[in-house]
Amino acid sequence: MGEEKVRVGIYSLSSCEGCLVQLLNLEDIILEIFENINVVSCRLLGVEGVKKADVAIIEGAVMSKEEEERLKEIRVNSEILVAFGDCACHGGRFIVKDFGLEEADVKVPRIGKYIAYPLDKFVKVDYYVYGCPVDKEEVLSLFKDIILGKEHRPKPYNVCAECILRENLCLLDFGIPCVGPITRGGCGAVCPSSGRECIGCRGLAEDANISSLIRTMKERGIKIPEYLQILQERV
Amino acid sequence: MSMEILSLEHITRIEGHLNFTVTIENGIVRARAEALEGTRLLERVFIGREYWEIPDIASRMCGVCQAIHRLTAVQAIENAFDILLPEELERLRRLVAVGGHLQSHIVHLFIFVLPDYMESNSILEIASRNRRLIRNALRMKKIANSITEMIGGRAVHPLTPVVGGLSKLPTRRVLELALDLAKEFMRLAKETLRPILSLELPEFERKTNYLSLYNGKEYPLLRGSIRIFGKEEFKPEDYEKYIEPITEDYSTARHYVLRSSGKDYAVGALSRVNINHSLLSDSAMEVIKEFSLKYPSYSPFENNKAQAVEIIHFAEDMVNTLEDLIHRPPRFEKIDFKVKEGEGVAATEAPRGLLIHHYKINKEGIIERANIITPTAQNYKSMEADAVAYTTKLLSEGTDNIKRELERLIRAYDPCVSCSARFLREHAPILR
Repeated sequence: MGEEKVRVGIYSLSSCEGCLVQLLNLEDIILEIFENINVVSCRLLGVEGVKKADVAIIEGAVMSKEEEERLKEIRVNSEILVAFGDCACHGGRFIVKDFGLEEADVKVPRIGKYIAYPLDKFVKVDYYVYGCPVDKEEVLSLFKDIILGKEHRPKPYNVCAECILRENLCLLDFGIPCVGPITRGGCGAVCPSSGRECIGCRGLAEDANISSLIRTMKERGIKIPEYLQILQERV
Repeated sequence: MSMEILSLEHITRIEGHLNFTVTIENGIVRARAEALEGTRLLERVFIGREYWEIPDIASRMCGVCQAIHRLTAVQAIENAFDILLPEELERLRRLVAVGGHLQSHIVHLFIFVLPDYMESNSILEIASRNRRLIRNALRMKKIANSITEMIGGRAVHPLTPVVGGLSKLPTRRVLELALDLAKEFMRLAKETLRPILSLELPEFERKTNYLSLYNGKEYPLLRGSIRIFGKEEFKPEDYEKYIEPITEDYSTARHYVLRSSGKDYAVGALSRVNINHSLLSDSAMEVIKEFSLKYPSYSPFENNKAQAVEIIHFAEDMVNTLEDLIHRPPRFEKIDFKVKEGEGVAATEAPRGLLIHHYKINKEGIIERANIITPTAQNYKSMEADAVAYTTKLLSEGTDNIKRELERLIRAYDPCVSCSARFLREHAPILR
């Protein structure tokens, strides 16, 4: 292997680290992945600090000034920047802490009144890997793309596309407020396949028709989730 | 005499870092676990939300032990609604937790601990020398995750455990596949764990209080009362009478002590084994004998071996439970329940020890108050006391690498969150 291996930095901001755990969950091929890239930074492997890299994979939301600075430093040092997981792509579950923080009686020095922000509020993001947590298959395809020097693209269809392939019954027919129809696919419809409604962790599909979904839910007598109403007002 | 400060920085936790500082002044050693913790903030997030949203959010507290957070939240809410689950459903859910425990223990032992003792920087270096060992460990990890996935719907942040039961039942075929995998796990476990079980651990003992669930029937995971080793036993809902949160001005995380004595205590695999070793499976007992392990043990380093013993135990548990479920499958996935006003406490054993979730719910099913006590928070005081005692011992022996030893000590506790594994490499200034 005379060629230079691609230099990859793996970083973590505020998150539960479940997405990094998903990377480790590629047990069958993780050793080969790490052998085919040059890991310049990854706390799991004992290499710390922001380094010059071809690709930076960042998990977590920006929840403090220090993290904002760190993110900018990573951006300057990386050719390609990947937002890895829902926190990095959208701010994640922690964005809910937006609510009620004003009257918070606790001192939380590291976070303060700084709410959770997605990476692209501060820097240009080249690739997005969606999901809370990220899907293992998508992680694998991300690393294949990185090693081959290909562009990584999100899936062009919604959650329903994969849900139908898995021969699931439609949860909307059972009165369950599933937002799969307007949510970007690629997760293998993991939640509906477990009998749970899609909660839209992967973000809006490109051609999402929110008002149509709300109409369908109303027709079926489903209580419209609060976040769907907020979404309709904002989009 | 001068003052010397050993600071171990960036022990990463849920949302924050834990800095560990040991000061030596005129021969007197002090230790502080300075944490910045986000947990309370998350508890605030719960307030005003509907009960069914809680398990999904609670699971996001930690990506490593998400399964048990989800299950504990579900159980606490069920306790508030007075829901009693049929045994088969409980056993299915237990498997989700067992898969989570096995996965967490394997990651800790092979990816975080082993490199320390094999004089290498990472699992990759070990893999280049002993590929078979690491392959087998990864295979075991994969099986553990598969079991969680087959029953829980997903390995990271499982989906199916919901208030009142499970959102979907595995088919008989899935249970049979899971059983095959569990048997393969058992075949691999003992040989693969041999290097861990035969580690030469540092010689150090300090007797503290050990807390774990205990139910007298089976090795505890989801049910039981809380027992203080060699002392009393109390019901989970009485936890506030026995466990006292204390605020240290240097730490934003709460520390916990026993209310009666004000003394530190430890939770985790070692506490569990110390209290419950007579309930371990036959194969775990054999391992204890073969590797001459002795319980109760008062060495915090023994926590690593206790985790290995637990892996063997839970592997056998997993096989038995699956065989049982194949013969007596649950007939329905959920039981009916009424949302009502109430308070619910659930105490479970997370991979890192005793975990308590407590919710107060109003009659509309909205959360009014929430309290979560994580294992790592409970261990801080014991960690500090161990660090003081161990440093004192090392000083008297004239050991020159105190920092490395302290790092090992803290790592033996398995502080929550994967990246704590490498917290010392570049951050800490070199002393001595």
